[in-house]
Amino acid sequence: MKVVPRSERHGHNIVAKLELENVSYVYGAGTPFCITALKDINISFGENKITGIIGHTGSGKSTLTQLFNGLIKPETGVVRLDGMDIWEDPKAISKIRHRIGLVFQYPEYQLFEETVEKDIAFGPVNMKKTPEQVKLLVEQAADFTGIPKSMLCMSPFELSGGQKRRVAIAGVIAMDPDILVLDEPAAGLDPGGREEILGRIKAYRDKKNKTVILISHSMEDMAKYAEELVVMKNGTVIMHDTVAEVFKRTDLIEETGLSVPRITKLMKRLKKDGYPVSDSVYTVEAAYNEIMNVLNKQ
Amino acid sequence: MPKEIIISAENISFEYPTDDMSVNHAAVSNVSIAIEKGSFVAILGHNGSGKSTLAKLFNGILVPTEGKIFVKGMDTSDDDLLFELRKTVGMVFQNPDNQLVATIVEEDVAFAPENLGVQPAEIRKRVDKALETVGMKEYASHAPHKLSGGQKQRVAIAGILAMEPECIVLDESTAMLDPAGRAEIMKTIKRLNENGMTVILITHYMDEAAEADRIIVMNDGKVEADGAPRKIFSEPGKLSAIGLDVPQITELTELLSSSDIIKNKFSFPKGITDEDEAADYIERLFDSFGAAVRPQ
Repeated sequence: MKVVPRSERHGHNIVAKLELENVSYVYGAGTPFCITALKDINISFGENKITGIIGHTGSGKSTLTQLFNGLIKPETGVVRLDGMDIWEDPKAISKIRHRIGLVFQYPEYQLFEETVEKDIAFGPVNMKKTPEQVKLLVEQAADFTGIPKSMLCMSPFELSGGQKRRVAIAGVIAMDPDILVLDEPAAGLDPGGREEILGRIKAYRDKKNKTVILISHSMEDMAKYAEELVVMKNGTVIMHDTVAEVFKRTDLIEETGLSVPRITKLMKRLKKDGYPVSDSVYTVEAAYNEIMNVLNKQ
Repeated sequence: MPKEIIISAENISFEYPTDDMSVNHAAVSNVSIAIEKGSFVAILGHNGSGKSTLAKLFNGILVPTEGKIFVKGMDTSDDDLLFELRKTVGMVFQNPDNQLVATIVEEDVAFAPENLGVQPAEIRKRVDKALETVGMKEYASHAPHKLSGGQKQRVAIAGILAMEPECIVLDESTAMLDPAGRAEIMKTIKRLNENGMTVILITHYMDEAAEADRIIVMNDGKVEADGAPRKIFSEPGKLSAIGLDVPQITELTELLSSSDIIKNKFSFPKGITDEDEAADYIERLFDSFGAAVRPQ
């Protein structure tokens, strides 16, 4: 299936925030053990959107995120930020890393400073911000991630897992990046904790108009928070569309080792049995409205 | 006939030692639970509710600071019984990369029985059987680090099975896996349970818990609720108050049954978790309202 980049779909005059063109990446190139992790990737991420990336383990999601901010360099192809090749000046790549903030999986293991405040300030201090700017950035980041002032002077190691996770995310937000990339930000958290983190990320996007890229195995979370989805399989992008369109393709999703939300399965069954409901429904609320519509028409 | 009890916790409490003597917080406080042999029990609770501590108490990794736990009558605080205890209750953890020790799958599975002093011929038999049970036999001579997360967890389970335990405890063992990996593990543990193994599954996924015979909900170190999934999920308000939720399907049927136009005309059973069962009832609901079925 051919994937049409967003910029083409919506006319040529729109420059994508982040764009990958014909990107391939091979691990261990030139050795007998070389593995092609990504093959000819073309995707573009629209400004201010929350885009989800889904795919089975080993589908290339993590390799993709490392390409976004120049942690690894594509074998072939170009990665563009605001229309500019990020590798144009390889010496300036660290500047790109300030503009595309990457939050790794289980980031709480990467905390190391004596206090929460110092840990969050690490990025902006490295960016040579003035002490006043650093203070402001730390305060704002703590606010977005729900870290109370009283916690700033504590050691990160005294915190609970969920709190540590928020401190780690705050550390990336404090760099005030244009794009926030999060690899499984809610993994291992309970339902309340998941909602808290993902809700805060969405609120951050709404307030600051940032571009957010979210990797998750939870289709339910994707249904709730993402606006567009990129589906990866064996190092290629097999679909890039709105959440509704992607979840319509149950066959394709299941073939890639993923699953559609159970709500979608339920609605598909109702539709298959001939009831007049839409099957591109993936949240509880939408399913409720859809069912009530049918009843109200009677 | 009363069922045989495999694990019995009697008024147990556990406090983690802290540097600061004043803030000793009980991770588990005054809990009494009996786990029936051959049952499939899910333990739910928010982060910090004490569910992982409870799991570690079940096989003697931790010993209660108050009260006693008996596994098949063995006191878990008795050091002399520790070997026997670990053979009876095996544990699988969250991160598959932290649990595999050898460079070849079958050697990894053989690690525990070797340590237990099992005879080589018997080890061979157990390893083959364990790998077969988890569906990983064809990977016996592969390197574990090249497997997918779901496959690694199945190897970790095989490593436990090679000790021939009677009970297996999985502490969020699906948390780091993709949906396919999670499905592999759920299928494996359900099969083990059908063959008589007692399974204790600690999870954050309500859909996984819905497949157990019994759910124990932990909150603040105490048992908040204990019963069949249908009963537990029939009170969504109680669960959301302690940071948990119900499966999406349960949430939907709950919303529908409390809506004004349905309330007095149609009732859903409480705590439905299966999408097909929900679809059956929603179709009945449509029919009772006379909703037209479109010709196919």
